[in-house]
Amino acid sequence: MNSLSSLFERHTIGRRHFLRAAGAMIALPALESIAAPVAKFASVTKAKNLVSIGAYLGWHQNGFFPKEVGRGYTLPTTLQPLATHQNDFTVFSGLDHRAPNGHNAWSNFLCGNAPKAYSMDQMVADQIGQKSRFPSVQLTAGTGEGSKAMSFTKQGIGLPMIQRPSVFYKQLFMSESDKARMEYMLRSGRSSLDLVLEDALRLQKAVPRNDGEKLEEYFDSMRSVEKRMERQITQINDPLPTTDYKLPDSDPITPNLLIEAEVLMYDLMTLAIETDSSRVLSFFIDGLGQVFSFDGRPLRSGYHGLSHHGNDPEMIRDLLAIETAHIHCLNGFLDQLSDKKRPDGKSLLDETIILVGTGMGDASRHSNANLPTLVAGGGFKHGSHIAIDSSKPDAPLLGDLYITLMQRLGVETNDFSNANRNLNHLFS
Amino acid sequence: MNRKHLSLLFASTAVTTLSAQDGTLVSDTHYGLLTEYCLKCHDDVEMKGDINLDHYSIDWTSEDQRKLWSNALHMLEDGLMPPEDEDQPTAEERAELVTWLDENLLDNTEIGGTLPRRLSKEEYRSTIRDLFDLPDYELPLGFPRDSEYHGFNNVGEGLVLSPPLMEAYARVGELIADTIYPPEQETPPSTIRTAGPEDMVISFSASTVRDDALLLVSRGHEIFRSCSWPSRMEIMASGTYRITVSAAKHKPISDEPMQLEVRARELSASDRSRAEVFRLLKVIEVPSESPTTVTFEADLYEGQTLLFRWANAEMAHDYSKFAEHMRQWFERDARWLAAWQHAVFPNGDFTKIRTSVIRGRSGWEIITKALADPNLDMTHATMDSELTVKLLELADSNTGMFNLADVLCHYYFTNGPAMEFHEATIEGPLKMVDGPREMLAKRLQNHFTGTRRAGQSDEAFTREILEKFLPRAFRRPVDPQTVESYLEIAKRRWVQGGDFDAAMHLLIRNILISPRFLYRLVRPGELDDYDLATRLSYFLTQSPPDDQLLKLAHAGKLSKPDILLREATRLLPKDPSNAMVQSFTGQWLDTNLLPEIMPDAVFKFSEAEIALAEQEVEHFFTEMLTQNLPMTDFIDPDFHYTTLAFARDNYQYTPQNVTSNTSSGMMGGSELRKLPLERGGRFGGLLTQSAVMTATANGVDTQPVLRGVWVLENILGKHPPDPPKNVPALTPDTTGTTNPREMLAAHTGEAACAGCHNLIDPVGFMLENYDPVGNWRELWPKIDVPIDSSATLYDGTPINDITDFKAWLVDNIDLFSQNLSEKLMTYATGRVPNHAEKHEIKKIVQENQKNGDGFQDLVLALITSETFLTK
Repeated sequence: MNSLSSLFERHTIGRRHFLRAAGAMIALPALESIAAPVAKFASVTKAKNLVSIGAYLGWHQNGFFPKEVGRGYTLPTTLQPLATHQNDFTVFSGLDHRAPNGHNAWSNFLCGNAPKAYSMDQMVADQIGQKSRFPSVQLTAGTGEGSKAMSFTKQGIGLPMIQRPSVFYKQLFMSESDKARMEYMLRSGRSSLDLVLEDALRLQKAVPRNDGEKLEEYFDSMRSVEKRMERQITQINDPLPTTDYKLPDSDPITPNLLIEAEVLMYDLMTLAIETDSSRVLSFFIDGLGQVFSFDGRPLRSGYHGLSHHGNDPEMIRDLLAIETAHIHCLNGFLDQLSDKKRPDGKSLLDETIILVGTGMGDASRHSNANLPTLVAGGGFKHGSHIAIDSSKPDAPLLGDLYITLMQRLGVETNDFSNANRNLNHLFS
Repeated sequence: MNRKHLSLLFASTAVTTLSAQDGTLVSDTHYGLLTEYCLKCHDDVEMKGDINLDHYSIDWTSEDQRKLWSNALHMLEDGLMPPEDEDQPTAEERAELVTWLDENLLDNTEIGGTLPRRLSKEEYRSTIRDLFDLPDYELPLGFPRDSEYHGFNNVGEGLVLSPPLMEAYARVGELIADTIYPPEQETPPSTIRTAGPEDMVISFSASTVRDDALLLVSRGHEIFRSCSWPSRMEIMASGTYRITVSAAKHKPISDEPMQLEVRARELSASDRSRAEVFRLLKVIEVPSESPTTVTFEADLYEGQTLLFRWANAEMAHDYSKFAEHMRQWFERDARWLAAWQHAVFPNGDFTKIRTSVIRGRSGWEIITKALADPNLDMTHATMDSELTVKLLELADSNTGMFNLADVLCHYYFTNGPAMEFHEATIEGPLKMVDGPREMLAKRLQNHFTGTRRAGQSDEAFTREILEKFLPRAFRRPVDPQTVESYLEIAKRRWVQGGDFDAAMHLLIRNILISPRFLYRLVRPGELDDYDLATRLSYFLTQSPPDDQLLKLAHAGKLSKPDILLREATRLLPKDPSNAMVQSFTGQWLDTNLLPEIMPDAVFKFSEAEIALAEQEVEHFFTEMLTQNLPMTDFIDPDFHYTTLAFARDNYQYTPQNVTSNTSSGMMGGSELRKLPLERGGRFGGLLTQSAVMTATANGVDTQPVLRGVWVLENILGKHPPDPPKNVPALTPDTTGTTNPREMLAAHTGEAACAGCHNLIDPVGFMLENYDPVGNWRELWPKIDVPIDSSATLYDGTPINDITDFKAWLVDNIDLFSQNLSEKLMTYATGRVPNHAEKHEIKKIVQENQKNGDGFQDLVLALITSETFLTK
């Protein structure tokens, strides 16, 4: 497997030279002003960022779950790129949401027992997201055709995902012309709002009292839009973070460039965390029929075809090559997060919980039981494989792990979907 | 105030109290009956369920009071109160109370009272489509959903406007404005970009790379089966480009030139798209095995890249041709046949197909190995063997064809012939051109502004635009003051240096957040002809009123009964794709839940069948409406409206049901059609349609209580109150040891529960014969106990099964008609009918029953009712 990952490195990442975010310079606008609330927040809870990463076609269980339980396990095939970080993450087996099977129910990954319900990342975003510029960010590598959405609002609305790294980049580091456009939209919108509201008030005065009361909803909502605009207008000249990080001149949005897109998104997520632009990020790794080539050798079948491996060893080998490539990208992310330190000496990894999982336990059988799950960072004691015997009647659920993660992020909850305990006794 | 305490007071004090609270004294008779049967639990001390019926006098003009007593009336009428273990009033006593409440409620309830309501999400979308001439417009992903109120998402009380929704409206306003007046773009410098074989997308088995060339072998329609395209050559600005392509023949078998199609695909378009949807730029003739290089100029638009396909390839991913292609090959070459048999049916067993493993190159390697094997099993390699027949069937089936054709691609990659692609270069833009975005924008601008008269100033032109556009956006005439206030927005923009387009952009953004646009029925006074036009139009088409309605409203003619009737008839849904049919049936019958329900694999109910089930409801409803069929046909019709296969698989429908003269051409066919049916059976009618049975289960098991409540609320119009909060949810016994009936009996044994459950359970158990997707079953799953569907309905009618229940419903069709009418009226007016309105509806239903009971007649009568015509 080593040979495969080195091949991968040479031929897929090495081929295009990116300025990796690890080496990129960023300039933070006002370091103290950011440092202060962070320090205050950190004293209450142990982690402040959540990155949720879901792979649409899942993780082949035999390549993901270690054979041994507890510490000192031998790294399974898929996780081998993470060797230097073995004490920075924990692998979980035997956890799931007892959700329905099939691709349709994939969103159980973050939504729990009822797919498309209020997702865990959005619960967290609703609690702590407002502390940063973007309360939450949804990204995808690949078209996002697979699941359409991974994050769902309290109302059960699936949130759209950003597919183009350049779009996310523009949001993080606005160019002068983007900024001018935004300022124009805000100022022109704000100043014309008065005239719309005047007209609306005239209307409200003319209608019967009951109807006028119903219209209060309109005015309340408008006031909130107005406030948001005003807040943004006052912030428009706040210096934004800048960076010398450059994207390639073309977005890798075709399915065969999935791995390349992953690398870029991880770079940008690192920058987003470093600049405290967002604390809640979710990242969907799509999978369709695209055929990957490693070392100029096209794999035996498209990604989706390989996931239906029917236990054919050669199909599984090629599937694992792709999954290992995903984990290789993840490793780059962990490298960057652990290298970058805050002024207090803590690394970004210490303050960031990274949840890696999927809504599909076994794509070959379309089963959504026993979801491969990995948690890195966030100041937890790591290094183990925690195996849950799900045949026991009171076996913990994946939701119990999520409760533990949410609590670590300062979300006071004892419930998630069908779970109402936590895993604090096994994982803290 | 309450009488028990009053007895201590002097009469004069009582009189003062009475006049002070403006109520009507409750007569001794009625107070006596209340005391005897109600006040034990519902006086001002006990207040069970927070209900206090202990009143000395009742203020019938108070809406809260009317709601309270209207609720009490329903409990009495439906026999839900008093509870079973309490003294029961005699029939006369019950009737006395019912009449008293009914009369007082009727005397004191005025027809009307819809609150201003914002457009529902669906209405909002259709309105934008209509207003800006964007027929395919979709709201952005993540747009908030409406909440339901009394079963519908378009009722005033339920249509709350919240800050996130207002933000979404503002965002949509910006997006629409950007679509019509796109922000300016910078012209990028001209560049030269080159893509070699390594830079091309390889999708499934559509292409591969051999010896520094990309090979293409299929002319299949779906691009991910046949085409390749550069990964990193996205055009950033619409313009004319110089394109150079280099290609050669690979192991040709004829002298005919190969043809390489070059199309322009949107890089973000789905890889499942058909090649034909993309604009053809050039067909390049490739005459020889040494590369031919062709240069041409073509317009490429923002977001596009090149798409390549070998247009005259031998191989096609094509239903009509693939199986035949394979058959000819099998006939020519028995070893070829044997190798395919070995790959697809590894153990010579045609029930075990190895399609998953034989995807792509993997399958080809199995075949190559088999071909090289001197001991290849040739026993079945004849054209008449069963394995061959099954193999060809597979080659002609949906997934089989694609999988096998993908394998065959690799034969061509190895042996040729194939198209060799070497390189493509794009240079440019040589000059800028209008792309789809600019062309769309120009069309939309023209639609929005109309044409400017020669010499007309910006201000005059804008005033004219607003005078035309605002009445359409606000769905009624607009006073000059409103026009001026919007004109002021444009003027301010100009003062601040904006140009005409910038002002239009800003106006669009602002008009789309005006309450006059977002709300219906927000204005003083009674419902006028414009409001009526809006109500009628959104009811029947989910869209704003068209020109004809507005013209009639303007002339003040729409409310004339004959004209209203004519217009209603014109707008009535004519086919099942009508937005009203889909929206109303989905909400009324809860079949809009279907996409969320994932039936367990054991039921073998595919996604395609779920979609068919939903369509069946829509077709059935449309047939009832357009053919003006009698209301009883909703319950017990003489037809199914679905595909024959669906009826056969799910409704025990056999072609024997078909009478001889219509049997020709009835077999097969994927179209939904009217299938003749004998009345009185287990299937037929709304109640037992798959969509309804699936929507009222959860995909895994059935719950009699849920289905019972569903029938009461959606078919019979009875609304049992919610169960008390302290009752635990009825969890199905998954170990399968208890009979559901016994389980429920234990659960609802208490008298307090029995009142409602006597109403709910008989219906629920009667439907236990239908599994979670509506297929017939005789046994309860897991325990294998025969299902007992017999019951006694709340009026004492004994029933054995569904057929008895349907017969009873047909006899009591007014219950159903009343309920459906109330649902329609709720959907149409945005308010739940009050007591007086229910009375009017009742009269309409009775009148209609006397005149053939046609569904279309009923809908039209409802539209011309006072309830419909009142704000």
